[in-house]
Amino acid sequence: MAAPIRISVEHVTKRFAAGALTVFEDLDLAVRDGEALSILGPSGCGKTTLLRCMHGLADIESGRIVLDGDEIRAPSRKVSMVFQHFGLMPWKRVRENVAYGLELARLPRATIDERVDRYIEMVGLRGFERAYPYALSGGMQQRVGLARALAVEPDVLLMDEPFGSLDALTREVLQNELLRIYQERPRTMVFITHSIEEAIALGDRVVVLSSRPARVREIIAVDIERPRTMASVIAHSRFVELRDRCSRLVLDRPAA
Amino acid sequence: MTDWTVRLGSIAVVLLVWEFLAPGWNPLIIRPPSAIAVAFVELVQSGELQAALVTSLRAFVGGLVIAVVIGVFLGVVTGRWRTAFNALDPLVSALYSVPSVALIPLIGFIFKFQGDAPRVAAVTLFCVFPVLINTQQGVRNVDRGLLEVARAFNTSERRLWTDVILPSATPFVLAGIRLAIGRGLIGMIVAEFFIGLVGLGYLIIQYGNVFRIDRMFVPVIVVAAMGIVFMGLIQWLEGRVAPWLRREQ
Repeated sequence: MAAPIRISVEHVTKRFAAGALTVFEDLDLAVRDGEALSILGPSGCGKTTLLRCMHGLADIESGRIVLDGDEIRAPSRKVSMVFQHFGLMPWKRVRENVAYGLELARLPRATIDERVDRYIEMVGLRGFERAYPYALSGGMQQRVGLARALAVEPDVLLMDEPFGSLDALTREVLQNELLRIYQERPRTMVFITHSIEEAIALGDRVVVLSSRPARVREIIAVDIERPRTMASVIAHSRFVELRDRCSRLVLDRPAA
Repeated sequence: MTDWTVRLGSIAVVLLVWEFLAPGWNPLIIRPPSAIAVAFVELVQSGELQAALVTSLRAFVGGLVIAVVIGVFLGVVTGRWRTAFNALDPLVSALYSVPSVALIPLIGFIFKFQGDAPRVAAVTLFCVFPVLINTQQGVRNVDRGLLEVARAFNTSERRLWTDVILPSATPFVLAGIRLAIGRGLIGMIVAEFFIGLVGLGYLIIQYGNVFRIDRMFVPVIVVAAMGIVFMGLIQWLEGRVAPWLRREQ
């Protein structure tokens, strides 16, 4: 039995440059409660824009995006986001960056301290609480970004190519961390990527978008059991077939 | 060699060369550092130097503080709101293009050549533009990505300022203040030449007029020292209010 739908994107059209550029048109998509949904598409297809619309950071021209029955028009505290560019405040120490969303939500100090400690621990940054972002590697900076997003304990976690700017080794370490964190407490997650492996390994389903204007080409269920690691997914007997299917769809080639 | 041995060594070399070459020149034009040191002690013993320094410092610090307050305020307002920018930019550009020295006599008239006020105003005029323009740039240069992060986490307008815009503008403001210090010292001396006939500027004129080059050099060196001390103060302040910038040093 499928879980109830958490976010639904209904007939959504988004244009740029005063209508001259259609990013996506009449797009439909549903994110189920508790699932990890990967969105895969060629670069420039509007994946990031779609995610921004889902968070209410960008307006849409027509259609609607609904979260738990309410139309999204502005960022909601139920949702938080991990950014490709990390988006850390250089003038805040690790602790203060992680506490950022909690402070804006005006939670009591004790709750903030407890959560910050817990999520810093979860992403493996204990001992770096007082460091400024410039002193951290890219991978560690994104751990801070992840902790900041998780600390507000959102119903939905949006991730915009969060590991896209990391080197391959660091990326795999963080992918495994994210798999572990999801395993500990599955929460609805939308994960944008242009890496096929990453989309399969992290997602319960993979939405493959076409190039602009983006349409949903196909939604592929990833029938690989959890708990997963990157290594276990790649070694899984289903992996090669899933990867080939995704790559044909992304590259727009007909089935062999 | 450490940085400091090089710095002090270079000063020592200049002083030594000066000391040995000076006797070959007309003593009305050049005196050796040793003679200036003697003059320094004389001016301290007579109390002239301290009195002049206090008078000059009053005008300089007062003018700088007022300039920072006005400059940061207008810089923030014009950096953030387009209408304010359009309203003020022509005036700022015009005033900034006029050599500030040309306005010194006008300032004298406005403040009736009395007390510290005209000299404070002169220092303010010299200092305010670099602070204003730098603050404006700082406020405008806020990273778009960080503004989006703040929106994504549902920031209030007030927290947007304290979390993002002001910290991001801080290094620009400090750089503006550093530029202002140099200009402010010029303003201070020029105002003392033309408006007040007091302070370190007046000592320079007074001893220059009677060809006491050794004594004339004393206030010049004190002004240079003021520059160094105030720059150091700003650097120290930067470490306190913007410790995340240490990576650049």
